[in-house]
Amino acid sequence: MTVEHLHSTGTGPGPAAVLAATAALSAAVGYLLAAARLRRRGDVWPRRRDACFVAGGVALAAALVTPPGGPFTAHMVRHLVVGMVAPLLLVLARPLTLVLRVPLPRPARRALLRVAHSRPAGWLVCPPLAALLDVGGLWLLYRTPLWAAVHERPLLDAAVHVHVFAAGLLFSFAVCRLDPVRRRWGLFSRGTALLGAGAAHAVLAKSFWAAPPLGTDVATADLRTGALLMYYGGDLVEIALAVVLAVQWYAAGGRALARDRRPRPSSPVRRSARVTGGYAQGTTREGVAQRPAEAGR
Amino acid sequence: MTGSARRPASPPSHSDARPLPRRSMAVCALIGAALMAAVDEIVFHQILNWHHFYDRSTPAVGLLADGLLHTAELLGLVVGFVLYADLRRRGTLSPAHARAGLFLGLGGFQLFDGIVDHKVLRLHQIRYGVDLLPYDLAWNVAGLVLLGIGAVLAVRAGRAPLSAEPAR
Repeated sequence: MTVEHLHSTGTGPGPAAVLAATAALSAAVGYLLAAARLRRRGDVWPRRRDACFVAGGVALAAALVTPPGGPFTAHMVRHLVVGMVAPLLLVLARPLTLVLRVPLPRPARRALLRVAHSRPAGWLVCPPLAALLDVGGLWLLYRTPLWAAVHERPLLDAAVHVHVFAAGLLFSFAVCRLDPVRRRWGLFSRGTALLGAGAAHAVLAKSFWAAPPLGTDVATADLRTGALLMYYGGDLVEIALAVVLAVQWYAAGGRALARDRRPRPSSPVRRSARVTGGYAQGTTREGVAQRPAEAGR
Repeated sequence: MTGSARRPASPPSHSDARPLPRRSMAVCALIGAALMAAVDEIVFHQILNWHHFYDRSTPAVGLLADGLLHTAELLGLVVGFVLYADLRRRGTLSPAHARAGLFLGLGGFQLFDGIVDHKVLRLHQIRYGVDLLPYDLAWNVAGLVLLGIGAVLAVRAGRAPLSAEPAR
């Protein structure tokens, strides 16, 4: 297999890539419309969430249609954006919370809630499992004959890209724990999963310095640029994820501190109704029990 | 910082907040180690280009340990800073112990990197194509000096009466 074959879809965006990019941009427009609707209704929905979602959608679309650099480097840029950066940005925008808040047809809403509260959903967002699906998939892709097969079959290539995106989304979703699903995993399991996934990602990236993915012949300079990009790009996203966890921990500590310092009134204090996006309030409009006893702790 | 005194709603936070010397030291040691790792990555890997990203002579277990350690350093930097912010907000930071911890962390990581990473795991060397001995010596002696400063500061902090920064 020659270098030219390496990324046949990378030379010009194929129809599937254009379709996926269009879908990403449409999702961003849909998000903006839904958020505007919430604001008109009087809900507080911070603008930075809009910015995150739009940035995620645009990054995804851009990565799908214009990969720069040599073939392997181009692939890595795409991998980073599709599997890590875009999913994180999308998850930070709390899309599920938004969808559950906009007026939906009743059956659609009920179906969505059923999925979000289902047992499998609770297990899927188990952080170590999400990490395994995400980084384990990468090891399978690059260190088995799958990589060579992907370049023979466009359909398989598309499926792998969908998996990379979906697994990245699941991992960011599980680690950030911003949207309401059945199970709420604790800080320890989320932090440990992040550590494990980060280490596996770093080892894989570093191994490219010495050996290209199985069954391919990649120019050395291209391979090394790709390896560096994967290593340091992964670092940046890991730091961002760690900052999300750290800010959550700090904010929770701040709330506890504020409670302790407040003079104790005889009746329980009514919390302000301002929706900050946290789950401090017992239930919200979503009709979702937001605190199903933090069993994961 | 007299903010807390002016707010009648919140009782003076000094009363229940006492400096936590060991926690202050541990948190700052974590920050120190992660900072030294970052300096190593930025100065020796990126700017000087002395260290190699991967010199191919690394055994697999070394590569694995390196990946884990590298990620732990990244997370350690974030965790260290947020724990530090928490100490400050609670008024439980003991600045003298924090300074000692920072130096212990800096020196500890430098020495660990020089001995375990470079020599035991053989991840990479300080520089290539030169006689390594002076480089290794300078590297590890620098680590020892930083550790020594940390130890002196720790002893001094232990002797001085505890004082904490007031809570914000």
